[in-house]
Amino acid sequence: MRPPHRGPLPVSAPGTRCGPAAGRRAPRAAALVLAVALAAGAGAGAGARADTADDGLRFDPPAPGSYALPPIDRVRDRTLLGPDGAPAPLLGLGPRQVALVAFVYRGCHDGAGCPALLAAWKRLDTLVAARDELRGRVRLVTVSFDPARDRPERMAELAAALAPRGDWRFLTAPDPEAIRPVLDDFGQDVLPLAAADGAPTGLLQHVTKAFLVDPAGDVRNVYSAGFLAARVLVADAETVLLEQDRALAAAEAPEAR
Amino acid sequence: MSTCSPIRITAGRAARLALAASLALAGPAAADEPCQSPYLPKVTAQEDYLYVWTLGVEGWGDGSDKLVTVGVRPGRDDYGKVVSSVSVGGRHEAHHGGFTDDRRQLWMGGLDSSAIFVFDVASDPARPKLVRTHTKFVEESGGVVGPHTFYAIPGRMLISGLSNATDGGGKTALVEYANDGRFVRTVWLPDDAPYGYDVRVNANLNRMLTSSFTGKKNYMRPLPELMQDAEAMKRFGDTMVVWDYHARKPLQTLKVPGAPLEVRWALQPRHDWAFTTTALTSKIWGVFRKDDGSFEAVELATIGDPAKIPLPVDISLSSDDRFLFVSTFNDGTARVYDVFQPRQPKLVHERKIGAQVNMVSQSWDGRRVYFTSSLLANWDKAGAENEQFLKAFAWDGKALTPAFSIDFAGEKLGRPHIMNFGSEALYRGRVAERAPAAGVAEGG
Repeated sequence: MRPPHRGPLPVSAPGTRCGPAAGRRAPRAAALVLAVALAAGAGAGAGARADTADDGLRFDPPAPGSYALPPIDRVRDRTLLGPDGAPAPLLGLGPRQVALVAFVYRGCHDGAGCPALLAAWKRLDTLVAARDELRGRVRLVTVSFDPARDRPERMAELAAALAPRGDWRFLTAPDPEAIRPVLDDFGQDVLPLAAADGAPTGLLQHVTKAFLVDPAGDVRNVYSAGFLAARVLVADAETVLLEQDRALAAAEAPEAR
Repeated sequence: MSTCSPIRITAGRAARLALAASLALAGPAAADEPCQSPYLPKVTAQEDYLYVWTLGVEGWGDGSDKLVTVGVRPGRDDYGKVVSSVSVGGRHEAHHGGFTDDRRQLWMGGLDSSAIFVFDVASDPARPKLVRTHTKFVEESGGVVGPHTFYAIPGRMLISGLSNATDGGGKTALVEYANDGRFVRTVWLPDDAPYGYDVRVNANLNRMLTSSFTGKKNYMRPLPELMQDAEAMKRFGDTMVVWDYHARKPLQTLKVPGAPLEVRWALQPRHDWAFTTTALTSKIWGVFRKDDGSFEAVELATIGDPAKIPLPVDISLSSDDRFLFVSTFNDGTARVYDVFQPRQPKLVHERKIGAQVNMVSQSWDGRRVYFTSSLLANWDKAGAENEQFLKAFAWDGKALTPAFSIDFAGEKLGRPHIMNFGSEALYRGRVAERAPAAGVAEGG
């Protein structure tokens, strides 16, 4: 686990920072969904059709199971809030599952930030739902790091707008204090963004990241904005699932008893 | 507007990201160190500080290796001055280092002790704090020695070794640590190309390049003595390896004679090539992607007079892929090549920097170029030629013009080596202010 962050948190890179020009109002739900759609649309021919050869990716991901993803970090499965306001686990994974976890906030309308991440998750949802062997084993999780404004009903709105086909969960926390340990676990930085004159903007700056997590809570890969190619993420998820299958098969084999 | 790395999937996407960034920053998104990892947040305006990793010298101050922070923002009181200095205690052959992917920490390595020093640069960018020291790199990595390049990848630090604990030779590996210091894995270089030096990723192509130097038995010896030892001089690398980055698997071994050192991928979309220089043969090489997706290494140019062993040690490629700066240690010279035609580098400027020169770093907009003097404690020159400095220059596309210099010997700081850029704006949670129009104050 990571130590708690102390002091101010960093500004992200061009293209990975969420937070548009100072003074802009947070967008309405429809605006964010539009931004997601635009991000996905901008990726068409450059990333949206990740299940095809013309997804813009200039390489084929290595074959699932042909490479290793050693644990990078370990996170706790903490209790958050589901879109119905009821307590819900962050991961809640069974022994043959993995989760792809993304942190976002609804107020973000930097197309290269949270909308791009949600667009990537939308593509992932489509890919995973289309494959019988993955459906039910790959869980997508979207967590708001702005729980003061992203109340459960706003996450429910987001879920409805994105219309998941598979196991895609939308979570928030009771309050900002409750989300802090989760962010610290994952090393996800978040910092209120002020205008150049110091006035608050209501925006949050952060490095856009996503995480592949196994049932033990081990983080098996970390992804940055700009590197959210769905085919790569699916290959990674499959790699961990194959590893689980092999381990469970070995444990169940007669000679192992 | 420049794109900031080779990471962008398409030119269209790059433009869109750059636009988003400019909106977010309310200022220009074009300034900073082009050679940093594509996964690393970039300083997008005038840098405030240089973090200079400095070898200790017995009798100079406390004699220890230290991280020296220098003010480099024109117009401020600390411009061209040492702002702070953090001693790590002892001499470890301070060499290279780099930021974590969130740019909160700066990891700096020692080639002799293999210790790794982790500095918090986010809490107070003017005064980095030593927050952690790794002393088990050799043990945890399974015998890798000499942590050299520190390259940020998501959630982790990718470190190239130079040597091994078994025989002190050049067989070595790539080592990964999580940002919090947890060991992740070791990947040894292939048997047909066991030497290591630099490591750089082109995420757009899922390709990684490693280069090759020599083992600890050589790099810790005095240079004049080493060069007289014909057998020892045979034990330098002459290969580069092309890897599947995502799988961490070697794909191709390229023959590049003469110890290829620093590697720089071109940054612009569809510029599918990289440059390196060879220390012993004084050549510029290009590594070009072919139509079939494999790579070829091509000798491109001769640097100075190889008979005089100029010893090219560092390179810096501008963010528009136009100019390649090459510093050569023995003649203390910087040469600038126009590499607009990457297979036909053209020498366009040459300037003596000092009696010896090693590292060269330029800002993202290419207007400011910084040089330091030290190569290795036992390879630096002796007597009056043992100049130790940080020198800043302005670059106008035609010539280098002096801006300021700091005498690290006169200030009893040590032998300055690698430089990393620091910025207050990265950590203060403010929409960035516009960068000053002029890059470097003249004649400082």
